[in-house]
Amino acid sequence: MSAEAQSTRPAPPKKSVKPYLITIAIIGFTIFAAQQVGFSIAELGSNLANAREFLAKFWPPDWEWAREEVPGPLIETFQIAILAAIIGCLVALPMAFWASRLTSPNRWFYYIVKSFLNVIRTIPDIFWAMLFVVAVGFGAFAGTLALIIFSLSIMGKLLSETIDSVDPGPLEAAKASGARHTPAVRSSVMPQVLPNYVAYGLYIFELDIRASTVLGIVGAGGIGRLLEAQRAFFRFDRIMAVVIIIFIVVFAIEQVSVYVRRRLV
Amino acid sequence: MTDTIETLELPPQKRPEPPKGGRRTRLIVAIALIVPAIWSALGLDISIERLLSAPADMWNIIKQMFPPDLSYEQVFERTLPKVMESLYIAWIGTMIGAFFSFFLSFLAAKNISPPWLTFMVRNLFNAIRAFPELLLAFILLPITGFGAYTGTLAIGLHSIGTLGKLSSEAIEGIDPGPVEAIDSSGGRRTSVMRFGVLPQVLPTIVAYWLYRFEINLRVSAFLGVIGAGGVGAELVNQLRFRNFPAAGTVLMMTVIVVLIIDAISSAIRRRIIAGKPGEEAPPEMFAAADQVEML
Repeated sequence: MSAEAQSTRPAPPKKSVKPYLITIAIIGFTIFAAQQVGFSIAELGSNLANAREFLAKFWPPDWEWAREEVPGPLIETFQIAILAAIIGCLVALPMAFWASRLTSPNRWFYYIVKSFLNVIRTIPDIFWAMLFVVAVGFGAFAGTLALIIFSLSIMGKLLSETIDSVDPGPLEAAKASGARHTPAVRSSVMPQVLPNYVAYGLYIFELDIRASTVLGIVGAGGIGRLLEAQRAFFRFDRIMAVVIIIFIVVFAIEQVSVYVRRRLV
Repeated sequence: MTDTIETLELPPQKRPEPPKGGRRTRLIVAIALIVPAIWSALGLDISIERLLSAPADMWNIIKQMFPPDLSYEQVFERTLPKVMESLYIAWIGTMIGAFFSFFLSFLAAKNISPPWLTFMVRNLFNAIRAFPELLLAFILLPITGFGAYTGTLAIGLHSIGTLGKLSSEAIEGIDPGPVEAIDSSGGRRTSVMRFGVLPQVLPTIVAYWLYRFEINLRVSAFLGVIGAGGVGAELVNQLRFRNFPAAGTVLMMTVIVVLIIDAISSAIRRRIIAGKPGEEAPPEMFAAADQVEML
């Protein structure tokens, strides 16, 4: 029997204490954090007992009230999402090109736009909504502005990363034949990322709908403002009706969006 | 002289025709965008002037936040404990989501479970995901009361849906070879799972958990807005009293902590997916890691 034909068993992984130490550290931190937030299995059990009692308050949903009061704010929710997605994605288009190493006009521009996008993305949409409520007052306008920022930050990140990964060949060809920077980018890089741009745009519209349903809780318009108002009156049956409607809207939008994106890409 | 120059015979050059219908498609797309935008703007009572003056209004607020209130009391006694609370909420929420989604995702994978079961569990995931965390917390508040506990439950519940969907898709993408090998050599069902499936999907799934933790940290930051624990409550308080320097501190510290956690978490994710520095990772693993971003 030749040496090559004899299969050797692969060596078992080396034993080390490191994985055990990491596991202990994770468990320790988890127990500590659970104490800090007051989470325990016993507590969960007593909540489940409580939940039945409270669900009686939530049920049945007040559909009569919902038929009167919900359509207006619901349309407002859609309008916020539509406007914010369109404006946000349009503003993001040039910024994404500036925030990519490949197509940025110069290095300074690249760093400034990229860090700007990174910082605005760390602040959650609800915080933006609160800030805009303070800046421009309660209402749908504040929510729209918050979601414009939100759409801009996500589109900026997704699209600039897509631009980073395109084939640089056409751009080099355009530049070599003497095209200026902007026309070169428009005719060589733009067609490569356009399908992604459209797909991301639909995805962002879906995220915006999802976000705009709850913006009203902080006073930034849309169907969520009904939740806050009815909580003040302890009308849980009405809250339930709104919650069910939000659930249906978000669920339906996602199914449609997934279907369209699958067709597109 | 002229006969020495040989003219190269080139086939007649034809410029490619421009694609047809470009103008018409562009028109349709423009109308499909402009009409809904105008309808929305009219419905929301938003004019161009208002829109253009908004950045100045925002700048006004941001200007008042600088310099932020960096007194010891504001930073260490008021804001830092709240930021840490957000961190704990995100961690426990992720743990709850990871624990439950891990088992459920096997039931939702088409290559592991029968169709009737995958259908049920999948739709459970979809249904959970359709409730935004803020809405979940809002429903839970009257049941579990104000505080970090409610936020933890809301985040945990929502994470079961999102992590379950991603994990089950990772399980469906495995190489069937090892599974068949264990099956054909007489391995039990549990052995197939433990040695055939788990080693293939565990790195990806753990990377998903870390990614979810990053998202959950942002979520737990704003859940405080409705009283479900975390740094959001502090921001609401400071903005209500128009104490902008203090609000600036809260925002700044939130951003810093989120950036630090993002950096640590993505370094660990890269290490898990790509292996030790210097070792080559299969490119499809990177693809899996990138795909997560589009959640």
